[in-house]
Amino acid sequence: MNGISKPAAEASTTSGPAEYGTAQITVLEGLEAVRKRPSMYIGDTNVYGLHHLVYEVVDNSVDEALAGFCTTLAVTIHVDGSVSVKDNGRGIPVGPHPTVHGMDTVDVVMTKLHAGGKFENSAYKVSGGLHGVGVSCVNALSEWLRLEIQRNGKVYEQRYARGIPQQQVAEVGVTDGRGTTVWFKPDPTIFETTDISFDTLSQRLRELAFLNAGLSITITDERTSKSHSFQFDGGIVSFVEYLNKSKETLHPPIFFKAVKDDVALEIAMQWNDGYDERIYTFANNINTHEGGSHLVGFKSALTRSINAYAERGGVWKDLKEAPTGEDAREGLAAVISVKLANPQFEGQTKTKLGNSELKGLVEQMVNESLGNFLEENPGAARKIMAKIGDATRGRIAARKARETVRRKGALDGLSLPGKLADCQSKDPSESELYIVEGDSAGGSAKQGRDRRNQAILPLKGKILNVEKARFEKMLTSGEIVALITALGTGVGREDYDPTAARYHRIILMTDADVDGSHIRTLLLTFFYRQMPELIAKGYLYIAQPPLYKVTRGKKELFLKDQRSLDEYLLRIAMERAVVETSAGELKGPALRALLERVAQYQDRLAKLSRRRDPRVLDALVQAARIDETTLLDMDALARQVEAMHAWMGERTPDVLGHLKTFRKDDPEHQAKKLVFRTEMNGSPRETVVDHAFLTSPEYAELVALREVFAQGGPPPYRVRFEESEASAKSVQEILAAVRADASRGLAIQRFKGLGEMNPEQLWDTTMNPETRTLLQVRVEDAVESDDIFALLMGEAVEPRREFIEKNALDVQNLDI
Amino acid sequence: MAALCPSCHKPAGPRPGNKSAPFCSPRCRQVDLGRWLGEEYRVPDRPLDAEPEQPRPASAPAQDEDGR
Repeated sequence: MNGISKPAAEASTTSGPAEYGTAQITVLEGLEAVRKRPSMYIGDTNVYGLHHLVYEVVDNSVDEALAGFCTTLAVTIHVDGSVSVKDNGRGIPVGPHPTVHGMDTVDVVMTKLHAGGKFENSAYKVSGGLHGVGVSCVNALSEWLRLEIQRNGKVYEQRYARGIPQQQVAEVGVTDGRGTTVWFKPDPTIFETTDISFDTLSQRLRELAFLNAGLSITITDERTSKSHSFQFDGGIVSFVEYLNKSKETLHPPIFFKAVKDDVALEIAMQWNDGYDERIYTFANNINTHEGGSHLVGFKSALTRSINAYAERGGVWKDLKEAPTGEDAREGLAAVISVKLANPQFEGQTKTKLGNSELKGLVEQMVNESLGNFLEENPGAARKIMAKIGDATRGRIAARKARETVRRKGALDGLSLPGKLADCQSKDPSESELYIVEGDSAGGSAKQGRDRRNQAILPLKGKILNVEKARFEKMLTSGEIVALITALGTGVGREDYDPTAARYHRIILMTDADVDGSHIRTLLLTFFYRQMPELIAKGYLYIAQPPLYKVTRGKKELFLKDQRSLDEYLLRIAMERAVVETSAGELKGPALRALLERVAQYQDRLAKLSRRRDPRVLDALVQAARIDETTLLDMDALARQVEAMHAWMGERTPDVLGHLKTFRKDDPEHQAKKLVFRTEMNGSPRETVVDHAFLTSPEYAELVALREVFAQGGPPPYRVRFEESEASAKSVQEILAAVRADASRGLAIQRFKGLGEMNPEQLWDTTMNPETRTLLQVRVEDAVESDDIFALLMGEAVEPRREFIEKNALDVQNLDI
Repeated sequence: MAALCPSCHKPAGPRPGNKSAPFCSPRCRQVDLGRWLGEEYRVPDRPLDAEPEQPRPASAPAQDEDGR
């Protein structure tokens, strides 16, 4: 403990007993004051004050380290609750004090308030020395205190009880080492608690080790055998790394130091990708919890430097308002350490730095150094700027979201949106909300619904002309708020409660066209991102309005898709068609079975038609009898090609007109392959019939279907209807003929918009729980929706256009 | 393959470990909400005065319905 010494006082250790007595009186006067009002000196007599005693002693050792004389410091909590602090500093000077007559310097230091080097600034240029109360306070408030000093090759000892020396300073031995050990036991008659906390001390000692690069500090708790060692050669840079140790950091720590007007400033700072702001400030090693002028200076300079840099570099052009200091400090870990000659500590706990001159000084230093850092490290700067930009956007977004939602009353649950036609039931488990795009459809839905448990919320997308021929649709914030309000869940970080949903069936009902599917993608994405719990609970559905309306006489029928339409037509056909084949008559279910196979056959051909000519394939399958072995036999191959030509000549002469048939080598299979060149819709097409195709499952399936058709004998066929008859040269022509007949007297209308249905029709087809089909949205659907959405939102125009054109965001995309 | 946060495009863990999924953090979800309310999300649409799509013959396949 030598933070307390006047190095000038160097003398031998002789003090007469008589003089000692007189000195004791002065001692008592000073220390009695401390014992009478301990809180005035150490804050309180509870946990805070108790630990303060240790800090007081430790800080004296650290001051010795600051002065460059101490490198290690060991703190031990002993089993009896006493604490010892041992350093390897110069040791408290021993010998008669030069000005206090009759007292040893050791006793002066230990018993006189405000004694010691730090009050005169000469021995210690800067010093933390706790607010000037001195180690004598510790002594006064200790049941006992034992001092051991190693100095000048000798070991000295002194003992005190409640501050009163128990003997003269005694030389007890010799040593190679040097340093001071202060071992004291807090006085239980003063303190309400005497339980020293290992963790509390550890935290402070770790800080001190950070603040004093290279200083080795150990703490041992003999009560529990816990122990820590702290030594950080990187100083406050290590401190910042420690603060960020479990975080994803954006750049290596920034460090700068400066000395000006007797003030030494060190700052280390590093942003992480988190949201906490952690700035630790110190003045002369004291943790200035309450901040003060250095922190104020730092904050204002930080905001200014960041904004100045951003302005020069033109970043954040998209931001609607400039980042605030809080934005700039989001995810920032920083340590500011100032050392100055005359710290003024203010505030409730005396942990606020008051020196007003520091604000400008720190500001100036940070402006220069941080500005330079950003200019010289564009990579780190870019990441920091991006992070702050995000913080700003996040703050603006959060505020906007909160304001919008609150202003429009989405949270009070009382004022439902005006356009919501709510249901009578208040029981969410039986209530349904139809979200309907388009006003006219909304009107039909309102009239057609069962108002007992079906609510209607019409939403209208707003159309924007973004380029000459490019239009976009969006939901206005008003629409979104109306949606949130109707749902009753609230939204956002603080206000969202999925259990408050007012409906347990939320049904998206949009037009069955591309635009309708876009709006649905938009809505699905909103739910997926902002209310994923509703999807997870299975609350979200997609309505299935019909695609076709079929009118037969006065009867109207709605069919939900192409497949239902085909089935319907076949059903009619089988009621009234008879097919005569060479194998006998086909009608009723048998006819229907055949025609279903024909439809399947056509479907497969259509799928293969992307790269081949389906008419050529049809001839290949129906007229020829080819498998992969035929490719080895030239004569057989020629015969089969001839059969194909004949087939086409009869049925598709126009194809035959342009057909060019080639036989080419296929060395890989030591065989030939056939290439048919045709024209389809004016563009040339090559149908390759090779080993690979003839062994493919697609070909096998087509052949299998042909075998089924063959059971009806070879064409031609006769198709008899009630009032007419027709001839068919192939099974496909049978299907076409019966379809044509079935469609006779039918009006088939393709629905696009929901608005094309009147309220009753909408009820019957789409909303009546007895007859409707609903698709429940699963999380995977929503993920896919988000992917599509991302594509729709994409910056890259070309892939986006291509995607839209190719996939047409087909209704089926999402309905599977 | 970790999913990416729709806001910041950094990896975002799945539920239940990540309560903010599909976002990486509550903040990113908030940013997204701000974009919805800021009317920044738009999907392609056809012009107002465009021809309505023609009804299609009953036998035509239903797939290719982009109509553009």
